[in-house]
Amino acid sequence: MIDFRPIFFVLGILLVTLSLGMGGPALADVIAGQNDWQVFMGSSATCLFVGVALILTMRTERVRFTLRQAFLLTTLSWAVIALFGALPFAFSDLGLSFTDAVFESMSGITTTGATVITKLDDAPPGLLLWRAILQWLGGIGIIVMAISVLPMLQVGGMQLFHMESTDQSEKALPRVAQVTSAIIIIYFGLSALCATSYWLAGMSGFDAVAHAMTTVATGGYSTFDQSVGFFKNDAIEWVAVVFMAAGALPFVLYLQFVRGNLLMLVRDSQVQTFFGIVFCAITVLVVWQVAVDQVPIGTSIRLVAFNLISVITGTGYATTDFGLWGEFSVTVFFFAMFIGGCAGSTTCGLKIFRLQVLYANTRCQIKKLMQPHGVFIPHFNRRPIPAAASESVLSFFFLYIMAFGALSIGLGWMGLDFITAVSGAASAIANVGPGLGPVIGPAGTYAPLPDAAKWMLSFGMLLGRLELFTVLVLLTPAFWRT
Amino acid sequence: MIDIRPIFFIVGILLTVLGVCMLIPAAVDALSDDADWQVFTGSAVVTGFTGNVLILAFRGTGRLKLRLREAFLLTVLSWFGIACFAALPFLFSNLNLSVADAVFEAISGITTTGSTILTGLDSMPRGILLWRSLLQGIGGIGIIVMAIALLPLLQVGGMQLFRMESSDRSEKVTPRLRQMTAEISALYLGFIAACAISYWVAGMTPFEAVNHALTTISTGGYSTTDASFAKFQGAAVHWLAIAFMLIGGITFTLYVRSLHGDPFAVFRDSQVRWFLGILTAAIAAVAVWIIVNQGIDVGTAIRLAAFNVVSIVTTTGYASADYYQWGSFAVCAFYLLTFVGGCTGSTAGAMKVFRFQVLYAVASQQLARLLVPHRVTVPKVEGREITDSVAISVLNFFFFYAFTFAAVALCLAMFGLDLVTAISGSATAVGNVGPGLGPVIGPAGNFSSLPDGAKWVLSLGMLLGRLEFVTIFVLLTPSFWRD
Repeated sequence: MIDFRPIFFVLGILLVTLSLGMGGPALADVIAGQNDWQVFMGSSATCLFVGVALILTMRTERVRFTLRQAFLLTTLSWAVIALFGALPFAFSDLGLSFTDAVFESMSGITTTGATVITKLDDAPPGLLLWRAILQWLGGIGIIVMAISVLPMLQVGGMQLFHMESTDQSEKALPRVAQVTSAIIIIYFGLSALCATSYWLAGMSGFDAVAHAMTTVATGGYSTFDQSVGFFKNDAIEWVAVVFMAAGALPFVLYLQFVRGNLLMLVRDSQVQTFFGIVFCAITVLVVWQVAVDQVPIGTSIRLVAFNLISVITGTGYATTDFGLWGEFSVTVFFFAMFIGGCAGSTTCGLKIFRLQVLYANTRCQIKKLMQPHGVFIPHFNRRPIPAAASESVLSFFFLYIMAFGALSIGLGWMGLDFITAVSGAASAIANVGPGLGPVIGPAGTYAPLPDAAKWMLSFGMLLGRLELFTVLVLLTPAFWRT
Repeated sequence: MIDIRPIFFIVGILLTVLGVCMLIPAAVDALSDDADWQVFTGSAVVTGFTGNVLILAFRGTGRLKLRLREAFLLTVLSWFGIACFAALPFLFSNLNLSVADAVFEAISGITTTGSTILTGLDSMPRGILLWRSLLQGIGGIGIIVMAIALLPLLQVGGMQLFRMESSDRSEKVTPRLRQMTAEISALYLGFIAACAISYWVAGMTPFEAVNHALTTISTGGYSTTDASFAKFQGAAVHWLAIAFMLIGGITFTLYVRSLHGDPFAVFRDSQVRWFLGILTAAIAAVAVWIIVNQGIDVGTAIRLAAFNVVSIVTTTGYASADYYQWGSFAVCAFYLLTFVGGCTGSTAGAMKVFRFQVLYAVASQQLARLLVPHRVTVPKVEGREITDSVAISVLNFFFFYAFTFAAVALCLAMFGLDLVTAISGSATAVGNVGPGLGPVIGPAGNFSSLPDGAKWVLSLGMLLGRLEFVTIFVLLTPSFWRD
């Protein structure tokens, strides 16, 4: 029998944190003279009440987690935060249904960035800030999960990022805790730097903070319907490019950088591959645009860099409707959605290291075809990849595609047209944000979709964010047997 | 050093056989007084001549010995070679086809894909129509022989599990293998004959019956009419087609086993069960959808759903209706079904059910391992253990498939195709299915309006899919040519 008490205990702590987080938007609303502060106070009170109740009733002496409890906790914490984070949306006067509220909240906490709100420009500042805060919390949540939880759970190849400590988890914990708190500070710092840059480039203080939070988290929520395209400001767009890319690099390397290990950031193979892919893609698209669409080269570089990095890192800002750029660009963006950034960053998707592992494996496979009895070992980051890790990554890739397929079919059953279903599924599982096509493309929103489709997409976002296995393992009968 | 002699010798034999085959359409055209008999005779002469030259020039003494590298090169060269020469009749005819068109049609034939760039099939000379069907017929048996004899040897994409339980010494073509191949070829011809007779009894003309039989059993999908099976109104023809497409999509060695005293071998095989299970589920879902969404009556809905689902999953590619008009779920379903495929050791293409069985077993094992990381379990499919090397081989195949699909789609987009045409065209080519989606290459359209570059890309995609990717990729590595 699984002991739920430590799980609910931690959930209680998370809910209390969440309720405190709702204070910021409440304040913003009071300052702006909006009535919504009541909504936030009410939601905050609810969260606080439930959280404290959980803490008091589920308090246990030791907080040590078995593997099963860890899995359950991971999934439950994200689901619970998404649910309670939906309260302000549900109570507000935006007229959002419960489905819409959960969708928006899930899209926030998973740093997807798909929205069902149609008139962002007129929305009260509290809600806009809450969306940004959700994504910001989601961003740091991903990093913490990637550093501390997923390697231990050995999900989808993440065991390759195990801290080089011993196998005994007690000894690993203090080091992990240390690293995690240091990274949280770096995350804060980076966000502050980003906000300042935005402000210097021309955004208002509020916009700068709101966008900085969703940029570094590679989430993509904006305070305007037209996203970053609203500002029509080159400098702002370049700031965004820099900080979206920054959000896509492994945060552990920033820690090394701060500690004086300057070269590790540059020499890391994931980082090199990431920039390699980005550079190639940008070059190809710019050449295409200049040659075929006759766009001036300076504009083209800016547009392509912004939108491509936005899609690859799963941020999801838009400056123009890239659906109008022509079919080649659209197809590139479709496949780019799956790529993602580096492991240990705020991004999603398959992640660069998995592509590296897949590639290393296929090279060995081909060599083995010619020499069936030869021994070929794939390498990642100059170290050999254990067979278990390879299988883990390869299986992850398979499940990822299967989940994408299943979600597309489900959305199709709900009546969405082919492009909307397929791009919506891809966007949800890869936590990108906008889809393709006239409905959910960069110029649209998810508002007109049927409720069932929104629930499916919300589940898809959770599945993708938690790297599939973490959620799927809960669905196996063996998990619940003792 | 690669010994090219046996390779070119065998290619020569294949080309000679191809040349002889070209005489069949020539005869048909001569009998119907169509001037095209000259085209076929001319092509036959060119092909036969080249074949003979190769045979004579590379005739060696002693037995043929093929090492691993030569086997790879032979596989690729024979398919490329046959494709090029098979394009000659298309090129020489007065259909005004460009080289890209002719090669596309030939490759689509020999890989049993079934995508066509021809319009106005109903009024085309009989020779051309027969040639298309013959190509698919040849392609079908070629695939089976390749799957049974060659791919397990080369350990391509998990196929080593299907190695004949004879010797492990790969160089020998054992008598057992030869016997198996002979029996399967006989069965293949038998099925085609049975299919042709059934079609004829059900109402097709003899010419139509033979042509469609050739492309049904080979799960190719070429038809003698633009409207494909929509032209034939009777339900009987459709149900016969469904039955024979299924036959073409099931492992042929099981049929041999049935003949040798184990009549229910086909139904006991787990791959067949999965195959039929997937089909049933898909047919039910699509049928329900079109009943609810399109208001079609139950009987017709089941027939329409069954025909088109079986057609796509067995990678045949006939269409009995424009299912692109059936609404969102149907379109998504047909798109995803394009990737599934039939059983291994059949004429079908795409991923193939067996690989999904392995992937599912491995993924389940991965999930189980999350909870108990140090337990050693070996996943099993049909009682056979999936060793690490087989598992990784199949997992890699899946990645190759996805990668090739993406690369082909991107290339197609570069030539100006819209997203739906690009990703469905890529999927259908790499899976050797036939129709794509959308108004251009959907079930109601064809590939003629695509730019030439796109046709070349699709041709390459079809070959990559048919040859299971690595067979071609291995030729692109520098270490293949060194030694």
